[in-house]
Amino acid sequence: MIGPLIRKEFLQIRRNAFLPRLIVLFPIIIMCVMPWVMQMEVKNIVVDVVDIDHTVASQRLIQRIAASNYFIFGGQRATYAEALKDIEKGKADIILEICDGRYLIAANAVNGTKGSLGSSYLSQIVAGSDEASYLEEKSWEGSVATLLLYNKHQNYKLFMIPALLAIVMMLMTGFMPTLNIVGEKEAGTIEQINVTPVAKWAFILAKLIPYWLIALFVISVCLLLAWLVYGITPAGHVGLIYLLAMLLAMFFSSLGLIISNYSDTMQQAILVMWFFVVCLLLLSGLFTPTRSMPDWAYATTYVNPMHYFIDGVRTVFIRGGGVVAVAHQLLALAAIGLVTGCWAVMSYRKNS
Amino acid sequence: MYAIEVKNVSKRYKTVQALDDVSFSANKGEVFGLIGPDGAGKTSMYRILCSLLLPDTGSAFVDGWDVVSQMREVRKRVGYMPGKFSLYQDLTVEENLMFFATLFGTTVDEGYDSIRAIYSQIERFKNRRAGALSGGMKQKLALSCALVHSPRVLFLDEPTTGVDPVSRKELWEMLLMLQERGITIMASTPYLDEVRCCGRVAFLDQGKIRGIGAPDEILEQFREVFMPGRPASVIPSLLPSPLSEGNSNLQDEGTNKPARNEAGRETTDPSRTGCMGDGSSVISVSHLVKAFGSFRAVDDISFTVQKGEIFGFLGANGAGKTTAMHILTGLSQPTSGTGKVVGYDIRTEYEQIKRHIGYMSQKFSLYEDLTVAENIHLFAGIYGMKKEEVERKMTELLRQLKFEEHKDDLVGCLPLGWKQKLAFSVSIFHEPGIVFLDEPTGGVDPATRHQFWELIYAAARRGITVFVTTHYMDEAEYCDRISIMVDGKIKAMGTPDELKKEYGQPDIDGVFTLLARQATRSSD
Repeated sequence: MIGPLIRKEFLQIRRNAFLPRLIVLFPIIIMCVMPWVMQMEVKNIVVDVVDIDHTVASQRLIQRIAASNYFIFGGQRATYAEALKDIEKGKADIILEICDGRYLIAANAVNGTKGSLGSSYLSQIVAGSDEASYLEEKSWEGSVATLLLYNKHQNYKLFMIPALLAIVMMLMTGFMPTLNIVGEKEAGTIEQINVTPVAKWAFILAKLIPYWLIALFVISVCLLLAWLVYGITPAGHVGLIYLLAMLLAMFFSSLGLIISNYSDTMQQAILVMWFFVVCLLLLSGLFTPTRSMPDWAYATTYVNPMHYFIDGVRTVFIRGGGVVAVAHQLLALAAIGLVTGCWAVMSYRKNS
Repeated sequence: MYAIEVKNVSKRYKTVQALDDVSFSANKGEVFGLIGPDGAGKTSMYRILCSLLLPDTGSAFVDGWDVVSQMREVRKRVGYMPGKFSLYQDLTVEENLMFFATLFGTTVDEGYDSIRAIYSQIERFKNRRAGALSGGMKQKLALSCALVHSPRVLFLDEPTTGVDPVSRKELWEMLLMLQERGITIMASTPYLDEVRCCGRVAFLDQGKIRGIGAPDEILEQFREVFMPGRPASVIPSLLPSPLSEGNSNLQDEGTNKPARNEAGRETTDPSRTGCMGDGSSVISVSHLVKAFGSFRAVDDISFTVQKGEIFGFLGANGAGKTTAMHILTGLSQPTSGTGKVVGYDIRTEYEQIKRHIGYMSQKFSLYEDLTVAENIHLFAGIYGMKKEEVERKMTELLRQLKFEEHKDDLVGCLPLGWKQKLAFSVSIFHEPGIVFLDEPTGGVDPATRHQFWELIYAAARRGITVFVTTHYMDEAEYCDRISIMVDGKIKAMGTPDELKKEYGQPDIDGVFTLLARQATRSSD
């Protein structure tokens, strides 16, 4: 009974003028563009210098700032007030005032990350240029050794690619099912299906399977592109990544169908899904570490499948963790997926 | 000066010639009918005249203004009611009206005189949302909205599709009233009785005007299209002619009854099979109630339908027909009451019922983005039919419908009448005991309706019971037995002849109007 239904779903996706192109183009665009854009590193900070001392040392410092990768030398200003105007106009990000051999760093902290990272980079340079503290720094450095694990070159792309996998999976397997059942409601065909003896689980499963296969395709494209474009390959077993991804797809496609079942119009369905997607994404730890969240927000991550997926996929992809390392995440994802799957079947009503 | 003047207008969409050198004109204060089969180009013509669409060649004038170069003037002077409801379902009656008044730079108070006659009928519902109105009331509101700015010319594109006969009559009475006030009206309709209300009609077919003239002339000239089968008259009408000329300008059109095998009739005529035992009843319900809050959509109905019968389930818009049908097909649960369909309990065994019934919903019920063959395979597959059997039956079916060359066409591209025939064939493809048809012929042209009823008769001959709702009273005459539902209750039931005798009316239309009008009064 389920065969013709699955066939129908595939035919409908294929007949759609837009969906097949989206399925192919979406992962390509995300993988080829986003890793370059999603950088947490702060670069190109414009520094204005107010040099009252005019010593050789201060000149050398300015040269060092201009030579740095992180900074752009914005120019010298006569007074602090003049430099502050530059900041107000948005022409400069940081002011460095040199007066009597002492330094004042004033950073525009509207963008907190940029302000704090910029001022700390700048203090390192300043500290390095100062002869006395230079020595102090040296000895300090000698006593502390830093060892970077797993992502030795602090390659931000390596960190972001698993996160992008999560985003692609979420959007592809979440939104398409959301529009599916409610679309049949609007077209009126659902009524015809409801008077047939088709079993509820068969109807829902027939709708889920195509999205799982699409998920498989999408994840393969993403992994392939990560290797071809960035030369990045998973450190752990690829099978585990697929397993995690399929469990996530199970959750999102079920969630989509649940929303679709409860909605009367496409507009309503898509907005509700949008709400869930944004919340799940921001609470998942994809951009910000979950442990720095307030306790009540951290508590939500226990039921957030995105959190388990990102945790799990980063463990496998970057650290090379095995089944044992991600067993917790796998179990949690499977449990959440199963609950939403059952819910999707139950919320579809053939009789009211 | 003509109110509407069309000169050599042509319009082409990629491969389809929608309008081909069309010329006609309508006088001021005339009711001009534009009729023709589905896809003839009527809607394109309306859109050009309302300045929504540009003609490829030719020119058109409305109230003396060119629809291309002077479209601002044209838009001030026309009222347009598109085929589908043009109202905002979430706004109330009053809000809808105010919105349209504002659009045209006027107010409801200013325009009140021009809509008084129509709007006063629905004014007591002014705080109700448009989506909650019945079909007839929606049309009255849409008409009010189209009239609020006192247009000179009114364009109505199939305004009465899906509207019950009583509301249709009321709508046309209003149109004739507007005509007296000098408003020019151009309307299209699939109902032949409405065509008769027009002063002159133009028959449009495949983008060409085939004839213009008085309604009766045109209907006579193209009787093959409008009243197919009548001269050939395979079998004389089994019922006394429902026509009695001249008692009303809105009498029901007697499309000739499709041929029906006498043998088939033998087993199905309930008057002759009255002694049949309970075992042969396909539907039997008693005291069925469906309530939504305090509103009783279906209010204590009881009836039985015998095997092989064609049962017409009539009622005005909002009388509760669709709700009752949903209960019978296992789509919804009754609030109280009991019933059996094909031997299964409607309360508990609705999934078994679904195995043995066919259903064709009011909305179009096939997948438009699948081909004809794919739709058949899908539904046959759902009922668990074997592949070889499906192939064999499909070939046979497509041959019967003369659809062979359209096997791989997308259903969405077929004309409406074909879709409906196909949807019906698909709904009985698995040989159900009974098939439920919810307004299967809404908006379908007369010729196709005739073919559709031939399919229904063929199914009945094979022993499939047919349970059908319709707003076409001529179709009601084709049924073995009918029931008329008013305000959730069954007010009358019997063979068409019995009902006509009982109520002393010449035709079912008369019976229906009598009963439905009564109800309107009591429910106010």
